[in-house]
Amino acid sequence: MTNDTTLTISRLIAAPPSAVWNAWSVPENLAKWWIPAPIECEVVTLDLRPGGGFVTRMREAGAADFQPHVDGCFLEAIPEQKLVFTTVLAEGWQPAEPWLALTAILTFEARDGGTLYSARVLHKTPEDSAKHDEMGFYEGWGTAIGQLAGLVEPRG
Amino acid sequence: MVNQQVALDSLFHALADPTRRAVVSRLLKGAAPVKQLSEPFKMGLPAFLKHLSVLEGSGLIRTEKQGRVRTCRVDAERLAAAEGWLSQQRAIWQGRTDRLADFVESQTSPEKTG
Repeated sequence: MTNDTTLTISRLIAAPPSAVWNAWSVPENLAKWWIPAPIECEVVTLDLRPGGGFVTRMREAGAADFQPHVDGCFLEAIPEQKLVFTTVLAEGWQPAEPWLALTAILTFEARDGGTLYSARVLHKTPEDSAKHDEMGFYEGWGTAIGQLAGLVEPRG
Repeated sequence: MVNQQVALDSLFHALADPTRRAVVSRLLKGAAPVKQLSEPFKMGLPAFLKHLSVLEGSGLIRTEKQGRVRTCRVDAERLAAAEGWLSQQRAIWQGRTDRLADFVESQTSPEKTG
């Protein structure tokens, strides 16, 4: 376990920033990649402006109802450049107590005819999480990082 | 591999509900029969059983019927896996980024740029 609670993931995508932004900003496009199949994704709210809501729901194969997935608030939205949302606030800056508090900073940079897409995801420290969690979920359990390696779908 | 990602999502989904977290929390203290588990919650048994089936589906708890009593217990290994939350988040975002790239690249063919 690392103490660093920030994740950074970057990827060069062979398409211009406008195309990547389009995959993010059009609800039916976002629904196609936001959650892995066979889980279905429904984009309920995608209000791309500071204070705008960001709500997605998920439905497992064979289930009747959609369940909560992400319920957050955009903090920044600069078309084709940058998108920031958090789960600590809901639409209209409403404070919330999410199961997993995070802020995601997504950047779209033109690079060699494509786009360097980066996601920086900030989390609270495990200690902070434990304080807020009625389960004391992060206390006293061994970690299982090994079994989580290689989760990524391998592709060029 | 995709299945493992689904498993992660289902795990977090299972834990995203306060009733379900309370059930897991209670079961950490020891196995308990369904009837006894449901008592603290102000909801009908059918609604409560639905929560249990979500927990069971995610692998977080296991249930076992002996005679007329169904007993629930926590699956410690599964819970330990959930505890590696940062690596889980990495896996989720990595998968998302890959699927985004696939989606965008499949939309944009070389002959129609922009």
